[in-house]
Amino acid sequence: MKKFLLTLALVGPATSAAQAQTVVEFWHSFGDAKRSGWIQARADAFNKANPGVKVVPSYKGSYNDSLQATILAARQGKAPALVQIFEVGSQLALDSGAFQPVSSVKNVDFSDYIKPVINYYTIGGKVNSLPFNSSSPVLYFNQELLKKAGLDPKAPPTTFGALMKACQKIEAAKLDAKCFGMSLNGWFVEQWMAQQGQTLLNNGNGRQGRATSTTLDSKAAQNIFSFFKTMQDRGYYTYTGKLEDWDGSDAIFTNQKAAFHITSTADIGNIRDAAKKNGFTVGVGALPIPDGSKRNGVVIGGASLWISRGVSKAQAEGALDFALFMTNTQNMAEWHKLTGYYPVRQSSIDLLRKQGWFSQTPLQLVAFNQLTRTVPSPATAGGLNGAAIQTRRIIEEGLQKVLGGQGVDAALKDTKARADAALGEYNANFR
Amino acid sequence: MLSVRQKGNAGGREDRAVFRGAALPWLFLLPSLLILAVFIYLPTLRTLRLAGYRANLILGTEQWVGLGNITDLLGSATYRQVALQTLVFTLLSVTGGLLLSLGLAWLASRPVRGSRAYRLLLIYPYALSPAIAGTLWLFLFNPEIGVVNQLLGELVGVRPRWLDTPLLAFALVTVAAIWKGLAYNIVFYLASIRNLPTDVMEASQIDWATPAQVFWRVAFPLLSPVTFFLVFTNIVAALFDSFALTDLLTRGGPYVGHAGITTFLVYQLYQDGFVNFRTGAAAAQGALMLALVAFVTFMQFRLGERRVHYGA
Repeated sequence: MKKFLLTLALVGPATSAAQAQTVVEFWHSFGDAKRSGWIQARADAFNKANPGVKVVPSYKGSYNDSLQATILAARQGKAPALVQIFEVGSQLALDSGAFQPVSSVKNVDFSDYIKPVINYYTIGGKVNSLPFNSSSPVLYFNQELLKKAGLDPKAPPTTFGALMKACQKIEAAKLDAKCFGMSLNGWFVEQWMAQQGQTLLNNGNGRQGRATSTTLDSKAAQNIFSFFKTMQDRGYYTYTGKLEDWDGSDAIFTNQKAAFHITSTADIGNIRDAAKKNGFTVGVGALPIPDGSKRNGVVIGGASLWISRGVSKAQAEGALDFALFMTNTQNMAEWHKLTGYYPVRQSSIDLLRKQGWFSQTPLQLVAFNQLTRTVPSPATAGGLNGAAIQTRRIIEEGLQKVLGGQGVDAALKDTKARADAALGEYNANFR
Repeated sequence: MLSVRQKGNAGGREDRAVFRGAALPWLFLLPSLLILAVFIYLPTLRTLRLAGYRANLILGTEQWVGLGNITDLLGSATYRQVALQTLVFTLLSVTGGLLLSLGLAWLASRPVRGSRAYRLLLIYPYALSPAIAGTLWLFLFNPEIGVVNQLLGELVGVRPRWLDTPLLAFALVTVAAIWKGLAYNIVFYLASIRNLPTDVMEASQIDWATPAQVFWRVAFPLLSPVTFFLVFTNIVAALFDSFALTDLLTRGGPYVGHAGITTFLVYQLYQDGFVNFRTGAAAAQGALMLALVAFVTFMQFRLGERRVHYGA
C-alpha cells in the first residue's frame, strides 16, 4: 500500500505537467512507411514549433476500422481529436454526431482550396472536414504497346468510342495483351455519372435532403453499363475477377497484359516506377467518357480530416491548427510529389508550377487539368448517402453481372432495386 | 480440506476426490467462469438482445423490431442462398478434406524412405496464416499474370477465369480451404495411425488380409474416434474460419442470383456488421449461427455416444 501511494505521488506531478500540454490524437489509415512516415515527420515539425500542443499520429487500420474505432472511442469519451475519414463514409460520419464541422472550430479562409475538392466536403453550407488526400481516376497506357499497334501515344482516346476503336487495333496487332484492364469499383461509376453531369442520387445528390433513391435508371448509368458490356463481349476487357482489386489490376497493367488501364492519380508514382522496371513507358490521359457527353469533370476521391465533437476546445483548435499546417502550401506540394495525391490548394499548384514540376513530370498535368476544369454542380460535388459503402458494392456487383452475361437493362433494374432498398434501410434508422 | 477416499479395487484403480461443502469448488471454478462471463456469456447475451433491434453501430441508433430481423433474414433470398452455399461448401470441404488427409497420412506413415520429409512437408501449410495463404492463392490464380494460367496457357492453351466464373471460384475457394485445413487433420491422423495397436494389425496381416482390407476393415474403424473429432472441428472451421480465404481471394464474389457465390454465412455477417455497420441485422445472423453451432454440438455428443468405436 505504501509503495502504491509512493508511486501515485511520483506519477501525480508528471501527469499534471503533461496535461498542461494539449495532446491531439490523430488517427489515420496509412499503414505504409512512406505515407505514415511523412505524417509523423509533419507532426514532429508541428510539435517543435508549438510546444503547447502534442500531436500523436497513429495508424488505426483501414478506413472502415478507423471509423469504427473512433465511434467506439467517442462513446467512452476518449475520442481522438483528429481522424482521417474516407469520402464514402462522409454522410455516415456526419450522421453519427461524433464530429463537428471544421468551420465551427474557428474561422478559416477556405478560398485557397481547389473548388471541386472543397465542394465535396461542404455540406449544408458548412465545411465539415478538411481535404487531405484527394485523387481522381485517369487513363494509363503502355506507350510501347500502343506504338506496336500503330496508335499514337500522344493522342490517347478520350471517349468510350475512341477507346473501343483503339482496342480494335490492339487486338488486330496480336500483342499477347488485352486491350483494357481496370479494377471493378463503384468509384468509377460515380465518376462517370458526374462526368455526364448526372447526379447519382435524388435530392440533389443527397445534399439537399436524405437520398431516397439512386438514378441507376438514367441514360447516364446505361451508358456506363453498356460500355462494360461491349468491352466484355468483344473480349477487350480483363480484370482479376475479384471486386475492388486495385493491386491485381495494377499488376496486370504493369506486367504488360493490358494496353490501357484506369485507376487513381494517386498511383501515378507507383505505376511509373513499376513500368520502368518492366521496360515500358507509361502515358497518362484524361478519363475517357461516354461519346457525345460534355466533360463535366470529376468527383473528388480520397479522404479528409474530421474533428471530433467530444474534445476540449483547446484540443479541437490544436487539431485544426495541425490539419491546416499539414495541408499548407509547402506541405501539400511535397505530399503530392511523394504520393501523387492532388495538392488540394491552388497555391500549392502555383508553387509546383514555379518549381517546374509539371515540365519534369508531364504525366501529372493531365490529372490537374481534369480536376481544375471541373464544372461545379451537384453532380460533380459528389453523392452523399449513409449507406454509400454498401451501395457502391451493389453497383460493382451489378457490373459484374453484366460481365457475366446479363443484359444491361435487367442488371440495372436489379441493381437499382437493391441500392434503393439499402438507402431505405439506412434512412429507417432515423424514424 | 480435501478428503480423498480411495476406492481400492483389485483390477483397475479409480480415484475419487470429494469436496466438503459447496463453496470451495465454485471458488476454484471462479477464474474460468469470470473469463467465460466477460468474453463469452455477456457478449452472447448482448448479441441476442441486439438481434431484436434495427441498429447501426456508427449512428448508435436502436429501434425495437422484435423478431423482425430474424424474419427478414429467413425470408431473404440472399440469406437463403448464402446458407445453401455454406452447406455445400461445408459438406465438400469437410468430406474432401478428411478423405484426402487420411489418405496422405496413411501413405506418409508407411515405412518408406524419406517419410519424415513427407510428413514435414504435409504439416507445413499449417504454419501459414490464412491471410498469407489467401494472398498466395490470389497471386497464383490471377487470370492474366498468375503462374497457374501461365502454365496452363503454355501446356494446354486454356486460361480459365478462376475468380469470376461462378463454379470455378466456388471450387477454388473450396480447394483452398481443404488445402489450408489439410495439415491440421494430417497431424491428428498421423498421431492416431502411429498409435494403432500393432497386434491387431499384424493379426489381420497374418490372416491374409489385403492392404485394402487392413485399411478399411481394421485401421479405419480404429480411427473412428479421431475421425469423429475431426469431422466436428472441420465443420466449425468451415463455418467460421473460411472468412479470411474468402475475403482475400474473392471478396465473396462473383455475384450470382442473389448473392456472391463464395459468400458464406460468416462472411455475410462480417459484411453486414463491420462493413455496412448494420449491427442489428448482423446480431440476428449471429444468433442464427449460434443456434447452428448449438445444433452441431448437440449432434456431436449425441452421435458420439452411439456410433464411435473407442477401441477394445
